[in-house]
Formats: sequence, structure tokens, C-alpha cells
Amino acid sequence: MHIPDGYLGPYTCAFFYLIMIPIWYRAFKWLKNLKPSQVPLLGVLTAFAFLVMMYNMPVPGGTTVHIVGGTIIAILISPWAATVSLSIVLLIQALFFGDGGITSYAANVFNMGVVLPFVGYYTYKFLSERFKLNEVLSAGIGAYVGIVTAAVMAGVELGIQPYIQPGYCPYPLSVSVPAMAIAHLVTAGPAAAVVTGAVVWYVKKSRPDLFAMRTIARG
Amino acid sequence: MDRVTKTLLVIVGVMVILSPIGILLVWNYSDAWGEWDVQTVEHMVGHRLPGMEKLSTIWNHAVLPDYNVPGWEDKLHASIGYIISAIVGTALVVLLYYLLVKFIARGQSPAG
Repeated sequence: MHIPDGYLGPYTCAFFYLIMIPIWYRAFKWLKNLKPSQVPLLGVLTAFAFLVMMYNMPVPGGTTVHIVGGTIIAILISPWAATVSLSIVLLIQALFFGDGGITSYAANVFNMGVVLPFVGYYTYKFLSERFKLNEVLSAGIGAYVGIVTAAVMAGVELGIQPYIQPGYCPYPLSVSVPAMAIAHLVTAGPAAAVVTGAVVWYVKKSRPDLFAMRTIARG
Repeated sequence: MDRVTKTLLVIVGVMVILSPIGILLVWNYSDAWGEWDVQTVEHMVGHRLPGMEKLSTIWNHAVLPDYNVPGWEDKLHASIGYIISAIVGTALVVLLYYLLVKFIARGQSPAG
């Protein structure tokens, strides 16, 4: 899901940098709310997000996908924490490993660091609070919906390029959106659901206070 | 440090060591959709893409491109290169994270 340099034209790249400015402002401001006791947890989750993306998984048809870990961070800490964490991870990936890009950095953060954790988190919250669905199940479904939505978003950004400015991503929406959606519906979505469900199950078991506290606070 | 953070720390360590699974499992697979290099895309569509050619070379200072030491092509070397990348990347994201926390929390409270 890391859009490399060259796929998005200058207008699209500039548009996403503009969109990300207020979001980054809000997310980094949120970081001040991080309790001292949560600092190591978000640090280790940031490392987890970097590493989990190195686990490429096969998609029938010959391509690969990976999961992101954004919904886990959103549920355990906050969706804003996921934005901060993934902004760090995507920057290091682009600069040191050539994964993603500099011009496409803001678009990639928008997809994996904003769309993914926020959609994942609110799907989880909606299912577990409104429908009283089991929290582990809600977390799994949230992660699934989050990663598929983010992938479709990336597909839309790539696919609108031919209509805006030719010479960059050559594939139109009718090709890019199904390609991104199917790969994530089939492989990354189920993997994200299982991993997220497992982490939430474990945390609920060993630190139920993390969840109990939040339920009380939400009142 | 609480129990959850400790467990996650162990998981992160295991993930570093087992990271080569992430390339060995997909050894004969192509890139992820939309992540091919310029030559591959141009070959697939059968014409040149001037914009992509220009922008794609904007950053070519990656130290460990594609999470590998340049030239380490066979499975064994690529796996070692991948583990090195996992260690370097983990160290860098954690370093940047702590710098950010320190920088942003500094104006806040001395307790942070």
C-alpha cells in the first residue's frame, strides 16, 4: 500500500500535504495527552507497526500485501496515537528503505495513518458499544474494514491520476480500485483481523483495566 | 513497564529474528500492486511515462533499499540483509519516537 514516488503527480501530492497539515497539528498536539505510563507502550507498538509491514504475504494471482497495525494502536491507545506512530514509521521506510516515497509521503500517511486507524477504531467502537458485540470480534472486524478502506483509498488516489495529469500512474480507477480492494479483502484483511483480535484478546486478559477505565471514562 | 509492554517487547524481538519469512514466503511473487519500478510499468503499458520517470528518482539515498544490503541477492544473504534492516529500522523508529515525545512533551510538564 506504499505509493512510491512517481505514481502521483505534483497536484495530488500537494493536495495530500495540505490535507495532512491540520491532521498532523492535531495528532502531535494529542501526543501531549500521552500518559508517562503509556510512553513505552506506544514506543513498542511503533516498532511493531514497522516490523509487521515487513511480513509480506502472498495474494493469489502473484502480488503481495502486508498488514499495518494501525487499528491495534487505535484501540489500545488512540487513533491519534496511530497517526503519530505511522507518520514516524512511513518516514523511516521512505528515507532509509526506499519503501513509499517523499512526494507521496503525505498520501501514504493519510491512507495508513489516518483512514486505516480511524475507520478501524470507529468500526470497533460502533460494534462493541452499539451492538454490544464481543470486543475481540469487534476489534477483528474493525481491523478488516480499516485496512480494506485504506487500500481502496490508495486505489482511488492512484486511479484518478490518469484523469488529472497523464504521465504518472497509468491505470484508471476501474483497474486500480479492484486490484487494491481484492488483494486486501482476500489476504491482508483476514490477517489484520486475526492479529488485531489476538492482541486485543491478550490485552483484555492481562490488563482488563485498560478497557474498563475507558468504558467508565466514556460513561 | 507493565506486562503488556513487556510481552510486546518480546514479540518485537521474535519478529526481528523471524522477519525473513516476509520475503521467503513471497520469493517468486511480483511486487505489491502499484509498487513496481518505472521500467516495469512502462513495459506493462507499452509507452513511456515522463512524469513518473522524473519523480521516481527524486530520492535515491535509501541506505538499505528494499530492506536489503545492495547486492545481497540470494536467499541466505537477502535474509540476513532483511534482519539487518529490521534491526536498523526498529532502532530508527524508536529513536525518532522518543525524540518526538521529548520534544513535544518538553513544553508541557516536567513530569513528562
